[in-house]
Amino acid sequence: MIELKGIHKVYQKKNTEVQALKGVDLSIDKGDIFGVIGYSGAGKSTLVRLVNYLERPSQGQVIVDGAYLGNQSPHALRQIKKQIGMIFQHFNLLESKTIFKNVAMPLILAKKSKQEIRSRVLELLQFVGLEDKASNYPSELSGGQKQRVGIARALASNPKILLCDEATSALDPQTTQSILSLLQRVNKKYGITIMIITHEMSVIQKICNKVAVMEEGRVIEEGSVLDVFGHPEHETSHKFVQTVMNTDIPSRIKEQLRQQGTHSLTKLEMVGEHATQPILSTLIQRFDLKVSAVFTNMIDIQNTTLAIWYLDIQGDTRNKERALSYLKQNDVLVKEVTV
Amino acid sequence: MFDTSITLDQFIEAIGDTLYMVGMSLLIGTIFGSILGIVIVFTRRGGILAFPMVYSTLNVIINIIRSVPFIILMVSITPFTRVIAGTSIGTNAAIVPLIIFITPFIARLVENSLLEVGSGIVEAAESMGATPLQIIWHFILPEAFGSLILSLATATISLIGASAMAGAVGGGGVGDIAILYGYHRYDSFAIISTIIVLIIFVQFIQSAGNHLARLVRRR
Ligand SMILES: Nc1ncnc2c1ncn2[C@@H]1O[C@H](COP(=O)(O)OP(=O)(O)OP(=O)(O)O)[C@@H](O)[C@H]1O
Ligand SMILES: [Mg+2]
Repeated sequence: MIELKGIHKVYQKKNTEVQALKGVDLSIDKGDIFGVIGYSGAGKSTLVRLVNYLERPSQGQVIVDGAYLGNQSPHALRQIKKQIGMIFQHFNLLESKTIFKNVAMPLILAKKSKQEIRSRVLELLQFVGLEDKASNYPSELSGGQKQRVGIARALASNPKILLCDEATSALDPQTTQSILSLLQRVNKKYGITIMIITHEMSVIQKICNKVAVMEEGRVIEEGSVLDVFGHPEHETSHKFVQTVMNTDIPSRIKEQLRQQGTHSLTKLEMVGEHATQPILSTLIQRFDLKVSAVFTNMIDIQNTTLAIWYLDIQGDTRNKERALSYLKQNDVLVKEVTV
Repeated sequence: MFDTSITLDQFIEAIGDTLYMVGMSLLIGTIFGSILGIVIVFTRRGGILAFPMVYSTLNVIINIIRSVPFIILMVSITPFTRVIAGTSIGTNAAIVPLIIFITPFIARLVENSLLEVGSGIVEAAESMGATPLQIIWHFILPEAFGSLILSLATATISLIGASAMAGAVGGGGVGDIAILYGYHRYDSFAIISTIIVLIIFVQFIQSAGNHLARLVRRR
């Protein structure tokens, strides 16, 4: 649905150049909720603004729904933009117009008939749960409600793609949750591909199926959210995962273990139904091992459970080996870690 | 009761002349000034239709005209006024320099009002695939409307001041009365009446502007 190939973006300032993007390749499939996470200045906003050509790449190609944006006429480009909705951190609603008019804006631009606009806007307001606010002004709404208006407005022209740049960053956790659920409904009900920019890993965890981690103008890691959460390969990804899920053994526990003379543990990583297998009892009963769970953590990602366990397994070496291969056969990722 | 030589009819006619001069130059100046203001907002660096050459040229012209005090501007363009209005004295002749004076001022005010509309609004409009004209018409102008009304009140008030100066060189209006009767004939009543009328005008325009701006702003 969205393809970025070899993207470079350089901003020319007076005498200096800022390299905002340094060779980004990214591919987002139809129906994805694709998250892009990174620290401030990583180039996330620049990246998302390339997708609807608010920003042109200095080098590289942007292909949206099969169309290469680089050689489109201004008119054709505007038509493509109508297929791409966008919502913003600060909502960017027209303060001087009612909620109805705000949502109607894309339809007014497209010169739709009064009746068509009316029925579409009311349908959208109902979808986002603001049917009673049609004649209010943005200043009379809360942040969460304003973002709902933003979403309704972005959906007005029946886009195939929805871009969200820090859409929940100005909202409290509860409101964030409700906006994320709404975005999930947008994805499910209308089959819209969503690209979400954020610096909060919890946003990725709650609704994304894929994620790209950005740092200094590059995508340093990309993959399914479960994979990245399960075993982040890059230090920065690891730090982001740690913000929502403590997968490292706390140093206090490590200290205790060392004092007890334990120097290595077995790390198990299980996903989905595997996470709820009766692992411990099997290890103890079938393989006659002494097992203690030193540190465990479970997290819900897209209605799937990801479990990470650190076990101290004692007993006969051969039994232990057999136990570990049994686990591997049952789709458990096994790794020996030193404390 | 008062020791004055002007009649009520003369005074009313002078007020009418002032309103006429201010009204006409405001109308024409607003049209030119708004277009000019929109053009410099569009063509500035980072604008919707960035065109630095056009922007810098207009910018310099606006600055030049704005740096000439009205009284000097009026006197220095007399030949031009004569060509346009057919005469260099009277109310119609005064309107020419008034328009030239107020147009760049309005352009600047309009520029400021339009720039107050955040880049976020323009970005939202662009993301919807709006054309440059749609962006100005459906997004920037409605959002800037309150501020534009206040700008217009400011422009009107400064036009009233300038129109009184035009009176000094035979432009008619209340300024004429103040100079002719008040200054040359020591008629304090004429001066004081003129001042009172001007104060009432200014007060009225400013309050009307504030009120209207609040009405359209909804913030
Ligand atoms: N219009 C611009 N002109 C010049 N430099 C820019 C411009 N926009 C972005 N940059 C620079 O590009 C780099 C990436 O910026 P970008 O806004 O994409 O980061 P970000 O990841 O979205 O950060 P944040 O989380 O703070 O929003 C930064 O160094 C920024 O200063
Ligand atoms: Mg950003």
